[in-house]
Amino acid sequence: MKNKIPNKAGRFVFKNLMAGFLILLFIFFAFQMQAQTAVPREYQVKAVFLYNFTQFVEWPAAVFTGPSEPFIIGILGNDPFGLYLDQTLTGENKMGHPMIVQRFKDVKDISNCHILFISQPEQESEALAVTKSRSILTVSDISDFLSQGGMVRFFNKDNRIRFQINPTAAKTGNLIISSKLLRLADIYD
Amino acid sequence: MLVIMLTCGVVLVLTGAAFFIYELFTFRDITKRQLNILGEIVAANSTAALAFDNNDDAFQILLALKAEKHVVAACLYDKDGRQFSKYPANLPDKNIPAKPGPDGYQFRNSYLEGFAPVVQGSNRLGTLYIKSDLEAIYSRFRLYSGIVFIFIIVSFIFAYLFSKRLQKNISSPILDLAHAAKRISEYRDYTIRVSKKGDDELGVLTDAFNHMLIEIEKQNLDITAFNVNLENKVKERTSELEGMNATLKQQNAFIETIIDSSIDLIGVFDKELTIVMLNKHADEIYKIKREELIGKYLLDGFPQLKDSDMFRDLNKALNGEIVRNAHYKSPISKRHFENFYIPLRDKNNLVYRVLVIGHDLTEMMEANEKLKLVNNELEKSNRDLEQFAYIASHDLQEPLRKIQIFSELGEKNLQQPEVLQRYLNKINSSAQRMTQLIKAILNYSRLYNAENEFSEIKLNEVVKAIKTDLEILIDEKKAIIETGDLPVIAGVPLQINQLFLNLISNSLKFSEQSPQIYISSRMLTENELPTEFILKNGSYVELIFEDNGIGFDKQYSQKIFSIFQRLHTNQKYAGTGIGLALCKKIVENHNGFITAQSEPGMGTRFCIYFPAIQRADFHSDLISKDLRSV
Repeated sequence: MKNKIPNKAGRFVFKNLMAGFLILLFIFFAFQMQAQTAVPREYQVKAVFLYNFTQFVEWPAAVFTGPSEPFIIGILGNDPFGLYLDQTLTGENKMGHPMIVQRFKDVKDISNCHILFISQPEQESEALAVTKSRSILTVSDISDFLSQGGMVRFFNKDNRIRFQINPTAAKTGNLIISSKLLRLADIYD
Repeated sequence: MLVIMLTCGVVLVLTGAAFFIYELFTFRDITKRQLNILGEIVAANSTAALAFDNNDDAFQILLALKAEKHVVAACLYDKDGRQFSKYPANLPDKNIPAKPGPDGYQFRNSYLEGFAPVVQGSNRLGTLYIKSDLEAIYSRFRLYSGIVFIFIIVSFIFAYLFSKRLQKNISSPILDLAHAAKRISEYRDYTIRVSKKGDDELGVLTDAFNHMLIEIEKQNLDITAFNVNLENKVKERTSELEGMNATLKQQNAFIETIIDSSIDLIGVFDKELTIVMLNKHADEIYKIKREELIGKYLLDGFPQLKDSDMFRDLNKALNGEIVRNAHYKSPISKRHFENFYIPLRDKNNLVYRVLVIGHDLTEMMEANEKLKLVNNELEKSNRDLEQFAYIASHDLQEPLRKIQIFSELGEKNLQQPEVLQRYLNKINSSAQRMTQLIKAILNYSRLYNAENEFSEIKLNEVVKAIKTDLEILIDEKKAIIETGDLPVIAGVPLQINQLFLNLISNSLKFSEQSPQIYISSRMLTENELPTEFILKNGSYVELIFEDNGIGFDKQYSQKIFSIFQRLHTNQKYAGTGIGLALCKKIVENHNGFITAQSEPGMGTRFCIYFPAIQRADFHSDLISKDLRSV
């Protein structure tokens, strides 16, 4: 009985400490959120969609040379996602390959990646030429993206983000897109 | 019949119930599994809709549930547990759980409902809720109940009809048989018969039963007759046996009486030397009840027989030898027997027991012993008499011859008074000596008849008294008499006095210088007794009597104790020749023994052995004497 009293007291102190720590954390995250408001909601949703694509698309096994090799989402040109995409991917993996973000300024910077988001129309044709017939899922907002040979294009409909898929382009890249994903998408042919 | 109906009913109801319960569980299980599968299909289809936040598509997927009319509600929740889409679209929110619960399905309030995870790869994207009514189960149960009920009714009708017929053809004849059997066993009436109802198997059984009864009745009569006969025979034999038994008993008693009346000891032993029988005489001899001995192993009853002749002879007899032991002294009763050991043989001529007959010789032996003793005494006195006669003829004739010669010489010299006077003096002294001799002989012979009582004699006092009596002689001879610590012995005081007087007188007499006499004593053990001593039991006292007298040649050490034996002429040392003979006689009268050792001129040493009286008395006497001297 005697030694339970200091124990209780200890627990009490610990609880208080925890509470304090949580408050600090809350404040910290509030700042973070403040910072992220710079990223518009539209791109937050798109960042999540980029991650979700990884679950409904199958890449050929040959794209990875080793089991611990990362799954890379590349962003070409301006980055509209800010840190949001990095946060979304933190701790996630595709078949055991940890997911990371890589940013490429120029088309020539593009090295190894599995998804490539192309933000600027001026780099579109050049980038698509480089990624053509490689197993890279190309994604963009640009309106003529699919007609240029891109695979997935985001668009707005009734204030919601929707996407259009070019299955032919995906097939050339040896990518298999789940029928569930295709169900949701507008199909371009 | 009621039993049959009841059995049927219970069996049917139980079977129905079991069937119901089984169906209930299997169907519940099936329903649950079906809903589970349905849920999984819907969940799998709705992953993309949830992942890409597409309500319309999600609703389209849920709408597919229409095909299953029992599903009354369904709902998709997103990753954060918010409602994403529901079915049917117009379903009020209160009919759907606000938040997803744990995965799995449960029956609740006549509905089956539950949650299924929506998973893509390893990512959980949301939860599906699905709710189904149990109308399917209920309708199925209604159908089953109807079937079971109709089945039971039909079964009852069949059972009723069947049992009725059964009773008519089978039960009633069997009941008749059972009733008859019960009556027979109750009243033992084998005249009862059962009436036959038909020609079927039961009719045959009834016939067989009746036939059996007839047989039993017949056999019963036979048995009764046989029993009566048997009883008569048994009675006859019993009375015969009783008669024989009585005769046998009489004979046994007669033989026992004879055996018990025998003055001989009779016993029987078996091969293990167990005492089988002892006659009454044994009671008197062993002073023990024979019932206690019979049945015991010989050495258990009498351990002292272990190395005895009896044990040896019994074993000999067991080997088939007839043994006679005429000199058996029993270690038990200390009596003498003449024993016969007779092997008893069975019909195969093998020895199985030994008969022992002991003829008690104790009284005869005792009489014999006495006779021997008396004989010895007689022989001894005879010898003494012979010796006496010889000596008397020799020694007593000596003075008589002198008297004869001197009286003849006197007659011739009557004229010479001085010569006559001298002869008369000689005759007188011879006559005196004759008187002396006769007195001594009387003294000696008196010892034979002495029946004097023994009493305790303190030897130191005896010596002291003698010294007083002989005072004048001792002074005259300038003799010295010394005594050690002499014991107290048991004896006849007059005789002991005589013994010491004779010995001291001898020493005073046979000496050429002033005599020195020393008397001492010591206790002896048996081993220290001289070899020629015959009676060697108990402890003895040795009295040593030493002097410095003239002594004698050692060839005479025995002779000197004979009556009238003299080593010296009367002129040199006067004496009758009876003194030491008397001493020997006295010592022997006291169960003692006397020896003499000497060399001429070297003094004489007499050793006298007396039985010691009880040591305690001896010692107490010594102690009291010491105290007095202090």
